Amino acid sequence: MYRYDEFDEALVRERAAQFRGQVARRLSGALKEDAFKPLRLMNGVYLQLHAYMLRVAIPYGQLDPAKLRQLAMIADRYDKGYGHFTTRQNIQYNWIRLADMPDVLDALADVEMHAIQTSGNCIRNVTSDHLAGAAADEIEDPRPWCEIIRQWSTLHPEFSFLPRKFKIAVTAAETDRAAVRVHDIGLHIRRNGDGEIGFEVIVGGGQGRTPHVGVTIRDWIAKAELLSYLEAIMRVYNRFGRRDNKYKARIKILVNELGPEAFAEAVDTEYAAQGVHEAVLLPQGEIDRITEYFASPDLPERPARSVTFEAARAADPALDRWARVNLRRHRTPGYTSAYISLKSQGEAPGDMTGDQMRVAADIAEQFGFGDIRVAHEQDLVLPHLAIDDLPEVHRRLRDAGLAASNAGLASDLIACPGLDYCNLSNARSISVGNAIQAVFEDPEFEERVGPLHINISGCINACGHHHVGHIGVLGVDKKGEEYYQITFGGRADEKAAIGDIIGPALKGDDVAPALRRVIAAYLDLRKGPGEKFIDAYTRLGPAPFKEALYAVD
Amino acid sequence: MSSARPRLAPETPKMVTAWDTATGRTVYMTPSREWSVNIADGAVLVGAAADDALAFAASDEGRATDPYVMQVSPLGEIDGREIIRETIRAVGPTNHPMFGKQAGNP
Repeated sequence: MYRYDEFDEALVRERAAQFRGQVARRLSGALKEDAFKPLRLMNGVYLQLHAYMLRVAIPYGQLDPAKLRQLAMIADRYDKGYGHFTTRQNIQYNWIRLADMPDVLDALADVEMHAIQTSGNCIRNVTSDHLAGAAADEIEDPRPWCEIIRQWSTLHPEFSFLPRKFKIAVTAAETDRAAVRVHDIGLHIRRNGDGEIGFEVIVGGGQGRTPHVGVTIRDWIAKAELLSYLEAIMRVYNRFGRRDNKYKARIKILVNELGPEAFAEAVDTEYAAQGVHEAVLLPQGEIDRITEYFASPDLPERPARSVTFEAARAADPALDRWARVNLRRHRTPGYTSAYISLKSQGEAPGDMTGDQMRVAADIAEQFGFGDIRVAHEQDLVLPHLAIDDLPEVHRRLRDAGLAASNAGLASDLIACPGLDYCNLSNARSISVGNAIQAVFEDPEFEERVGPLHINISGCINACGHHHVGHIGVLGVDKKGEEYYQITFGGRADEKAAIGDIIGPALKGDDVAPALRRVIAAYLDLRKGPGEKFIDAYTRLGPAPFKEALYAVD
Repeated sequence: MSSARPRLAPETPKMVTAWDTATGRTVYMTPSREWSVNIADGAVLVGAAADDALAFAASDEGRATDPYVMQVSPLGEIDGREIIRETIRAVGPTNHPMFGKQAGNP
């Protein structure tokens, strides 16, 4: 993975020292909250329902054991023993005292981490495919490009005060696991007609109160031109994006108001007008230098099938289920990628204790070539595991309460912190999520239902990605009561779609029973076990699912 | 303020609440204009007294951040349309009861 050079190191250290002074002035009363707030937000510090919350950047979701152990130490020493992994592949701490924040930033800097640009109207953490570098279906590893974009966008003087926050995602696989079509800019690494590798550029996707699926404004652009072209997009947005209304300030509104063709034309005009001194040069030598940091681990040759593993699997139904559900095909025979689900029944989605982080770090170090990823579905992934080692890996995960066998299934739901923690939320997400998980408590039933993404947000800001859940659940406030609006048909993959609002919102206690009826209807209506919920919904439309949702038990 | 709160009529009983500047914990203004993490210590106010208390709170930034008034009953119990939110602020997250004030945490 990428290692800091002396410039990165100095920048992060100086920023932490600067924030230490700002915190001291705030605590002494020399700085008022109005002046301090933008400074703390630039360092990822929010004031949430119960306490200050710190959002730590995990660039493109990449961790190593040292980083994860440090995150565990911060959870134990400065928080209440846990952290919360987010849909932006970051981690949040919910209980840190302001006075401790500078020490936490120093501790992060010790392992080449920080919280810069995890808030504010700037380019946020660049996200990517959590199977990058391991997936059998990718054209090339997208992480070097995430890192190149990260370096270009970090403290970029022209783009530090954009009309609104800005999110970029990169994927390189035909199956989009990075949700690039619902980002401000999505980059899909593709080959052109000549077989050259470059980028499809998708702009104007996003969720929040005005969800949009992004549109392709360039089918393909060469690698060397990427940053200059991104710069042209950002300039058009920075110049024409609305600053008079925060609800209309995202680039999706601009793209929609101008129209994709006019927006693309404006970008092309800006791109063509860039002077030689303005172009962001990206020589092959620099691409190669960054790419070297992401070289595949040296994976010893192994047979494609493991007798050890297959014997263990035959003897242990729990291992067998975990292997069936949580493993993904690796590009190297004899290896696999494994999800560490952070969605055990009754737990807050994405939460992980410090002890669990240390277990995951130890496993990654001993068996996983030191590589750990955060998935935007709020799970961890060990991308490189020898199939021979899976019985021992599973045993250790199980002992740590980390072996939930539900990756990609219904109880592996996404949920924002909701009203239990968030100052903006209208309704709780975690409790309704736990109630929905209980519908799928029987693992055989859950497997029979098959792949299903249920996404829950506590408010219209959509941190829980409800718009793109196969089933979306949005918390709304109705005169002080928690209600939940249900959507069907959303998806965040290469066929991205915004879910259809089905009808009136349901009371909190009614959501799980209603979804139980919807699932029963789906099982009755599907062509067979091979037809996923989302495909059945696409084929049949909302009517039968709506009828089930509002039926009376 | 971090998010918009409902407007309350002058005669509605209310309490001034904020976040402790150093820790971020939920605090309530007491009758002696101190700050307490315990809602039972909070002063129940109406009319101009509530406006005065809120103005004082806004000037007390060294100790309390983002003050606002929340609706309570005449006896100081959480009331009104934000009863769920304010109950969670007062006692802690419902999914992690061991982290909240109901578990004896400050």
